[in-house]
Amino acid sequence: MLASIEKNILLFLLISVGLIALPHIYHIPASIFGFFVLLLTWRFIGIWKPSCLPGKLLLFLLTVGGLVLLYSQHQGLFGRDAGTRLFMTALALKLLEIRQERDLYLIVFLAFIVAASQFLYEQSIAMAGYILFVCCVLLGTLVAINSRRQNTLNALKTSAVILAQALPLAIVLFVFFPRVEAPRWMLFEDKSRAKTGLSDSMEPGSISDLGFSDELVFRVRFQGPIPPNAQRYWRGPVFSVTDGKRWTAAKRYTYTAAAEPDFSEPAYRYTLLLEPQNNNWVFALEMAGDFPPQLHMNSEYLLTRSGNPDKRAEYPFTSYPSYRTGELSGHKLRTNTQLPGPASQKITSLIKRLGGFDTRPEQFVDRVLQHFNRENFSYTLTPPLMEDNPIETFLFETRSGFCSHYAAAFTYLMRVANIPARVVTGYHGGVLNPVGNFLEIRQADAHAWTEVWLENRGWVRVDPTAAVAPERIEQNVNIEQQIASRNISFFSADSELARQLDWLKQARQLWSSVDYNWQRWVINYHSANQTQFLASLGIESLKQMLYWLVGLGALFTSILSWLLLSRKEKTADKVLRCYRRFCARLGKAGLKRNAGEGPLDFAKRSKKAYPKQTEAIDEITGLFIKLRYQKESSQADLSRLSERVDQLKIRRR
Amino acid sequence: MQNPIAPLLESANRSILGKQHQIRLALCCLLARGHLLIEDIPGVGKTTLAHTLAKLLGLNYQRIQFTSDILPADIIGASIFDPEERSFKFHPGPIFNQMILADEINRSTPKAQSALLEAMEEQQVTVEGKTYHLPSPFFVIATQNPAHQIGTFPLPESQLDRFLMRIELGYPNRNAERELLRGQSRYHLIENLQTELPPEQLKNIQQLVNTVHVSSALLDYLQNIITFTREFPDYPCGLSPRAGLSLLNAAKAWAFMDSRDAVLPEDVQAVLPSVAGHRLRSASQDSGAVVAPILERVNVL
Repeated sequence: MLASIEKNILLFLLISVGLIALPHIYHIPASIFGFFVLLLTWRFIGIWKPSCLPGKLLLFLLTVGGLVLLYSQHQGLFGRDAGTRLFMTALALKLLEIRQERDLYLIVFLAFIVAASQFLYEQSIAMAGYILFVCCVLLGTLVAINSRRQNTLNALKTSAVILAQALPLAIVLFVFFPRVEAPRWMLFEDKSRAKTGLSDSMEPGSISDLGFSDELVFRVRFQGPIPPNAQRYWRGPVFSVTDGKRWTAAKRYTYTAAAEPDFSEPAYRYTLLLEPQNNNWVFALEMAGDFPPQLHMNSEYLLTRSGNPDKRAEYPFTSYPSYRTGELSGHKLRTNTQLPGPASQKITSLIKRLGGFDTRPEQFVDRVLQHFNRENFSYTLTPPLMEDNPIETFLFETRSGFCSHYAAAFTYLMRVANIPARVVTGYHGGVLNPVGNFLEIRQADAHAWTEVWLENRGWVRVDPTAAVAPERIEQNVNIEQQIASRNISFFSADSELARQLDWLKQARQLWSSVDYNWQRWVINYHSANQTQFLASLGIESLKQMLYWLVGLGALFTSILSWLLLSRKEKTADKVLRCYRRFCARLGKAGLKRNAGEGPLDFAKRSKKAYPKQTEAIDEITGLFIKLRYQKESSQADLSRLSERVDQLKIRRR
Repeated sequence: MQNPIAPLLESANRSILGKQHQIRLALCCLLARGHLLIEDIPGVGKTTLAHTLAKLLGLNYQRIQFTSDILPADIIGASIFDPEERSFKFHPGPIFNQMILADEINRSTPKAQSALLEAMEEQQVTVEGKTYHLPSPFFVIATQNPAHQIGTFPLPESQLDRFLMRIELGYPNRNAERELLRGQSRYHLIENLQTELPPEQLKNIQQLVNTVHVSSALLDYLQNIITFTREFPDYPCGLSPRAGLSLLNAAKAWAFMDSRDAVLPEDVQAVLPSVAGHRLRSASQDSGAVVAPILERVNVL
C-alpha cells in the first residue's frame, strides 16, 4: 500500500518525471503543460499531505478533463504532437494514482517513453546528453525502488554504472543493427512548423524588413583549398518569369535535363551536409560538374533531390567556378527576355543614357553596374515598401534595397535592353569554422544575383549587389548578419572584453564542429550510410552482417565468461582487498597462503619465513583482524592497513 | 583483562599431565554450556579429567558407571513407597548433581542411554508426572569405549549430536608418563585441589562468552563450512543447524579463553575437529582426519 512506498522514492520519482517533462515545454501548448505541472505539484504536496490526494471520483473527473483538453487541442490522437501530449497527460494522471509498487514501475516506463519522444522534436547532441542524464535519474529511481536504499547518491551511482555498461552495447547495436527506415506515415510530419529558407518566388518590393535567421542550412567540407569568398555562390532556384513585381521559376524547365557546360580548371571537391529543408533543392557551388546520381539537374542548373527534404543528407560534389554554357534555344531566349509589358519611358531613357540597344551587351552590363556604383544607391536590409511598380520606384526614388532588389532591377534592365537575363537565388559566402575546417552556411547568407546570357560565353553571373556593397561580396563583411549572429564585437580589439569574446567565439566554433560531426555521424547514419560504412568494413549483405553480429556476440560472451570464470574472486570489501594484496605480495615472494589458513596462522608462518618483517606482519594482521572480525574499527584503520601493505617490502627468498 | 581461566588451566595441567589441548577443549565445552564425550580406551585418564574439572570448579560431582544391566531408574532415581507416610517418595538418582561422569556410556542398553541423554537435553527429569529440575550448572562428561571393543552399544547419531564435543585423550607422551609413574597418586592430588572457579563465577563467564563479537565475515566462513559439509560427497550427512550453533558457541568460548573479544577463523578451526568430527562420521576415531578436507578447502577469506 501507499504507506509502504517511501517518501524519498516518491521524491526521486517526481523529480525525475519533472526533469523529463521540462524540455517538452517548447513543443507542448501551455494549457497541457500547465495541466501537467498542476498535477505534478499536487502530487508533490501529496507526499507530505497524503490526505489532499484526489479520490477515485475526482481522479476520474481529472482524467475526463485531461482528455477534453487533449481533444480541444487536437481533435485526434495520431501524429507526433498528439501522441506526445497524450503520453504527458497520461503520465501526469498516473502520478496521482500511486497505490502500489507496480504503479511506480508503470510511471517509470511511461516516463521513459516521454523521454524518448523528445527525440522526435530535437536530436541535438545537447538534448541527447540531457536525455541520457534524465534516463540515469530514472534508472536511479528504479534502483531506489528495488534496493530500498536510503542513499540517493548511491542509487544514482548504480544507475550511472548500469548506463555506462550499456553504452558499448548500444554503440555496437547502433553501428551494426540494420537501420530501419521509418515508413512515411510514421515520420510525424508537422507541416505547421515553419522553416525559414529560400522560397519559390521572389517579391522584393513587398518586404520592408528582411529578418535574419541564424539557422544552419548546410555545411561544406572541402578536400583541398577553399575557394575565395567572391566565388562562393551556392546556386538555388532560378527565377525567369516576372509580372513586374513577383519573380517565379519557369515551370517548363523544371524537369528538363541540363546540357552540360564546358568546365575548366580549377575544380573544387567537397561534401555538403544539407540540413532538413522545406523544398527539395540542393545547393551546390556554381557550377556543379559532378554530383551524385540521385540528384537531378534541370536546364537551369538547379539541383533537386527526390525524396523527403525533411531529412538531413550528405552529398559529394565537384564544382568548377569557370564554365561556359552553350547556345540558347529560341524558347529559352523568349523566356529570358520576357517582360510583363512595355517598359516605361523613364526606364527606356535610362537604358538609352547608359548605352543600351547600341553597345555590346558586355559593355552595357558594366555601365549599369557603374550606374549602381556611382549614383546614390545604398544597400539596406530595411528598405521602404515598394508596392506598385517596384522596379521603377527602386531605380529612381528609393534607391536602397537588398540583393533581391538589385537582382530584380538589374535583370529587368537587361531584359528591356534585349539581353537574356534571369534572377538566381541561393546562398553566398559562408563562415569557415577553423576548428572543424568546414564552411557553415546559414539562412542569413541567402542571396540573389543575376545571370546574363552573352554571346560566346553563355550564361554569366553578374552580381549587382557587389557594385553597391562590394564588401558584402568580397570579404563577406555582412554587418547585419554578424549582428544577427552576435558575432560582432563593438569593443576595440585589444580590450580584455574583446579577447574574452574571442574566446567565446572559439568555443562556439568548437561546439559547431562537434555538432557537425554529431549530425554527420550519428543523426545522419541511415541505412544508406550504414550500408556504405559496413561495406568499408567488408560487410556486403545483411545476412553477412547478421553472421558478424552473432559471431561478435558469441566471441564477446565467451571472452567475458572466460574472464569471469578464470578471474579470482574479486570482492567489494576494501579490507579484504587490502589483505589480499598483502597475501599477493608474500605470494610473489614465494609464501602462498593456503585457502583454509586463517590470518593468525598465516602471520605465524610468514613471520617464520621473514623474521625481519615481524613487526609489519603483526601490524597488518592485527589491523586486518580488527577491521574484519572485531566489533569496532575506524576508517583510519583501513587507511593505515592499506598504507602498511603498500610499504611492505618482501624480498624473494 | 585478567583471564580467570588461566589459573584453572594451570592447576588442571598439573594433575593431568601432557594433555593441555584436551583440557582446554573440555573447559571450552563447559564454558559453551555443552556436554562432553570422551572416547578412548580405559585407563588413559578420562575419569581423572572429569574429577579434576569438578574439583576445580567446585561442583558436586557424581560418577555413574554404566553397565549393560543398568536401568533408567538407577540414573534418574525412583519413587519408593514410604510405609510411615504411606505414600511414594521420590529418591533422586545420581543425575541430580552438577557434574556427572557417565562412564562407559556405550556399555549400557539404549534404554538407559536415552534416559541420560534426555535429561541432558532438557535439564530436567520427569518421573511419574512430576518434573524435577536438575541443578545448574549441569555438565555431563560421558566416556565411551571405542566401538570395536566387546559388549558396546554404539550411540546413534542423533544421540551423539547432543554432545557439544567429542575428544580423544590418547596415551600420554613419554615424559608425561614418566612423571606420572614417579609422582604421587593422582587420587590424592585431586582430593587436595582448591576450587579455582566457583559456580557463580562460572555463570558470569558463561554470560561473557555470549557477548564475544561475531562479525559477518566470520559467519560467512562458518556458513561456508556448513555448506561444504552438506555438499562434500565423503560425508554421509552434513552439519545440522544445531551443529552450526554448537560450532559457533564453542568458537566463542575458545576466543574468550584466548582473551579475545571477537571470534577469529582460527577459533573455529581449533574447535572444529571436536565439534564436527563425531557428527560427520561417528565411527571414525580420528576427528582431525575427518575434518581435514574442511580445513584445507574452505577458504577463510
